[in-house]
Amino acid sequence: MLRMLVLRDLQKTYTKLRLGYLWTLLEPLGMSIVLWLVFSVLLSRHIGQQPYALFITVGILPWWWFTKGIAQSTRSFKRNTNALRISLLPTQIWVLRVVLVSMIEFIFSLPIIVLAMILTRTMPSPLIILFPVAIFVQFLLMYGLGLLVASGVAIVPDLARIVRIAMRALFYLSPVLYSITKIPDHIQPFAAVNPIVGILGLYRIGFWSSEIETPWHYALSFGVILVIISVGFLVFKRLEPRILKGA
Amino acid sequence: MARIHLTPDLSAMLDFDSVGSSITRQHRRAGGGRKHAIRRMAGEFHSETEWTLRNISTSVQAGESVALIGLPDDGREEFLRLAAGTLIPDEGVVRRKEIIIPMIGVVPALDRSYTFRQNVYIVGGLLGMTPNEVESKVDGIAEQAEIEGRLDKYLANARPIVRQKLAWSICMAVETRAYAIDQLLVVGDGEYRDHCWAALERKRAEGITFLVSSDTDEDLMRFCDRAIVISQGAIIAETSVEEGIEIRKALIPDSKRKRDKARVEEEDDEDYEDL
Repeated sequence: MLRMLVLRDLQKTYTKLRLGYLWTLLEPLGMSIVLWLVFSVLLSRHIGQQPYALFITVGILPWWWFTKGIAQSTRSFKRNTNALRISLLPTQIWVLRVVLVSMIEFIFSLPIIVLAMILTRTMPSPLIILFPVAIFVQFLLMYGLGLLVASGVAIVPDLARIVRIAMRALFYLSPVLYSITKIPDHIQPFAAVNPIVGILGLYRIGFWSSEIETPWHYALSFGVILVIISVGFLVFKRLEPRILKGA
Repeated sequence: MARIHLTPDLSAMLDFDSVGSSITRQHRRAGGGRKHAIRRMAGEFHSETEWTLRNISTSVQAGESVALIGLPDDGREEFLRLAAGTLIPDEGVVRRKEIIIPMIGVVPALDRSYTFRQNVYIVGGLLGMTPNEVESKVDGIAEQAEIEGRLDKYLANARPIVRQKLAWSICMAVETRAYAIDQLLVVGDGEYRDHCWAALERKRAEGITFLVSSDTDEDLMRFCDRAIVISQGAIIAETSVEEGIEIRKALIPDSKRKRDKARVEEEDDEDYEDL
């Protein structure tokens, strides 16, 4: 059932637009190029690892998945009220569905990273095997967080706007455009409270070995992820009767 | 199917034990005048809990057809949803022996932007059918709904009556021992209604349990063994169907409660990407 819903969603997005699949590539690609131009050519700051073009794509793509998935999960219960009314299936599938759809779109957009690797003539180290692990961890985080915001929004609609602002703040607080090694030393130990730090670290570890030097960050990030998942599930379980009532 | 808990060793098909369901309504501070203007602007709320159903204790035996009689918005729909498990009670326990198929709002759950076939898969799936099960039944459903040959057309242009037929046919194709039906007992017109009746009677003869809420008295009298009369969130009588209908007729004048069921559509439904 879930597989079917996901396939239908993908089909819908890809048949509606003329360029179909190409948009999955073009959107984040355009974003990466703009940011690369601004930070590398115009400002010529060294805020990330070299080559910066690759660094930024590896940051932007997971972030793109993250925002898309979370933004859609805020609406996932509201949008499916009619289905919720007759559904005998677990209520979580509506969140799982948007998270999976955005994940598949992310995986489809991975050729951009390959393109950036070719353009910058960079070869990853064997540690690139941690890349799928990063995808899995991000999926878990998004499922937990998605449940949390989806249940919250179903009860207090204002939360959708707060989430929107929070996501923007999180974009600048996360090392998407810059490297975690470039922030001031006294903030360093606490930076990884933001779980994105750990996830992006895992994505990048195969390209830049200096990301390995922060095991403390990983531990902290994954701890926070576990907390978010448990809170997400608990809140969802508590609010489920009210979510159904709103349907 | 994790959400619906079943109690296989229950003697009855369905058992309500002092069940209550409430809605919390939030009011903006009302009234004119300058005094409250700022409070209104700040969005001050006061909320109030209203029980749609309370202290409901009853049970339905397997194989019975029970009519739910009451005035509009007196908690019948909630009763059915609680029975099927698409609503979770705030008080008390609902036990059910087997899956009860909710035929409550199936038509709105059909998605206009999908084809007939896709809708069969989705609604069937929501009602607990596996894809393989749907696969084997999709032709039967199409025949039942009289849409053979149109299965891969989009639903957007279908007339309401066709949608009703489709919804009805999908529900009837589910293998289940019990139904909770709201208004959608028979659909279509003329001959098709007879066809529906025949299918329902067949199911009833097989010992399938029905919970029916309908405003058509003749349908209830024809189909149901007994009645549960609900008024203002409480069961006021469990009698025969004829008597139940009489009780409801007596109720009409003194009921003034009207509930505003207009659901507020979310205003910011547009897609946005943050970055």
